[in-house]
Amino acid sequence: MHHKEKHAFEPKIIAFVCTWCTYAGADLAGTSRLQYPANVRVLKFPCTGRIDPVFILKAFQQGADGVLVSGCHPGDCHYIAGNFHARRRFAAFRKLLEFVGVDLGRLQFSWVSAAEGGKWVEMVTDLTERVRGMGPMQEFKELALEEQWSGAIDTPELQEAYDSI
Amino acid sequence: MTNTIDTSIYAAITEAIQGEARRILSEGHVSAVVGYAAARRKGSAQPVVITDAVRAEELIFSAACVNNLAVYLTKAKKEIPKTGKIGIVVKGCDLKALVGLMGESQLKREELYLIGVPCAGVLASTAQPAQELTGDTIAPKCRECDAHLPQECDFVPDRQPATPELAGKYRAEIARLEAMTPAERWAYWKEQFKKCIKCYACRQVCPFCFCEQCLCDRNKPQMVETTPRPAGNTAWHIVRAMHLAGRCAGCAECERVCPMDIPLNLLNRKMAKELKELYDYEAGFQVREKGPLAMYDEKDDQSFIK
Repeated sequence: MHHKEKHAFEPKIIAFVCTWCTYAGADLAGTSRLQYPANVRVLKFPCTGRIDPVFILKAFQQGADGVLVSGCHPGDCHYIAGNFHARRRFAAFRKLLEFVGVDLGRLQFSWVSAAEGGKWVEMVTDLTERVRGMGPMQEFKELALEEQWSGAIDTPELQEAYDSI
Repeated sequence: MTNTIDTSIYAAITEAIQGEARRILSEGHVSAVVGYAAARRKGSAQPVVITDAVRAEELIFSAACVNNLAVYLTKAKKEIPKTGKIGIVVKGCDLKALVGLMGESQLKREELYLIGVPCAGVLASTAQPAQELTGDTIAPKCRECDAHLPQECDFVPDRQPATPELAGKYRAEIARLEAMTPAERWAYWKEQFKKCIKCYACRQVCPFCFCEQCLCDRNKPQMVETTPRPAGNTAWHIVRAMHLAGRCAGCAECERVCPMDIPLNLLNRKMAKELKELYDYEAGFQVREKGPLAMYDEKDDQSFIK
């Protein structure tokens, strides 16, 4: 029997997956009765090329502690090149997120084919455990809780500008 | 550092621009010229559209000519009667925006008559328009300018700009931020974005923000919160930087018009730097049909993908 562990913090993982490869791979994991953490919420997209970076932002804002984006291996795209375009977009987006101070450990990209039920399990388990170790994603949640801009003059530049009026 | 920058050529450039505008308008090469004219406060300048050759004498060029006029040819271009070519006065940095717009099929080269300006730099702030151009008052973008002399224009006054050697502010600031921990960077940007009042001036002034409907204005589904609160602000600025990645020509108009002094061009410069490193792409020097994020190479780096 499986030994069930109770954790104080259960991370929420949002997975944006391509319907042709990773979704089928996750389905295979299910039909193969492979066990993986139930922390992942899967959202199905026609292609990784359809996944807009704002979806990832939105996921973090809505309380995701980790995000997984997964699609077809290069060369296997149902739409020929959707994943190649996604690869560039996400390479750039990662750099931007890193620059504004998001820890990239919470964001994972992967290629999981329809035959790789095992790899799907591995990806989800790895990310869940890593995010569990990192703790809850607080940054975006804190932003959402902050009050409306108060008009307070709280930087030296603003104070200087105000004084010179 | 109060080293004065030599702007003595601007008077001769003004004269040359006036002469050329008068010629092309009276000979009928163009139906209008978009340029700068003196504004009401002494020393200040404002954009102007001239359709009559006799008004060509209104045109000027000075260190207060900070606007990027390219923006008038995108959002407003539908209101400009399509009566012929449009003449436009461009600094090197503004030309980069036009080149980008041509690549994105927003403009055609043959619809434009480019009057290039050899430019030594413009003022950072036009709050005191009559001030002298020095190492302290020059716009940050001009410190790192790589386009003092615009290329491939229809007319360029025969002058050499004095190109001052100044330390790059963006480069230094990017390096400073990159050296921080993610938490420190988050704290920095949180402070910056917190100031945002969602006036969208950065979007309105940007030549590349020409979407008929902005993603950030849509509410079904709402992708980016429209509130001037920290959550919506952060999302807005991240989306903005992402949408300009590989396209931004670095005219820094977003940063100039920001009433809250958010260093917006810093994000744009950072993305430009990353795309240069990743895909060896630099925006604005030649008309290219596809930007780095609109194309791909099978051999692109994928070390970040498992």
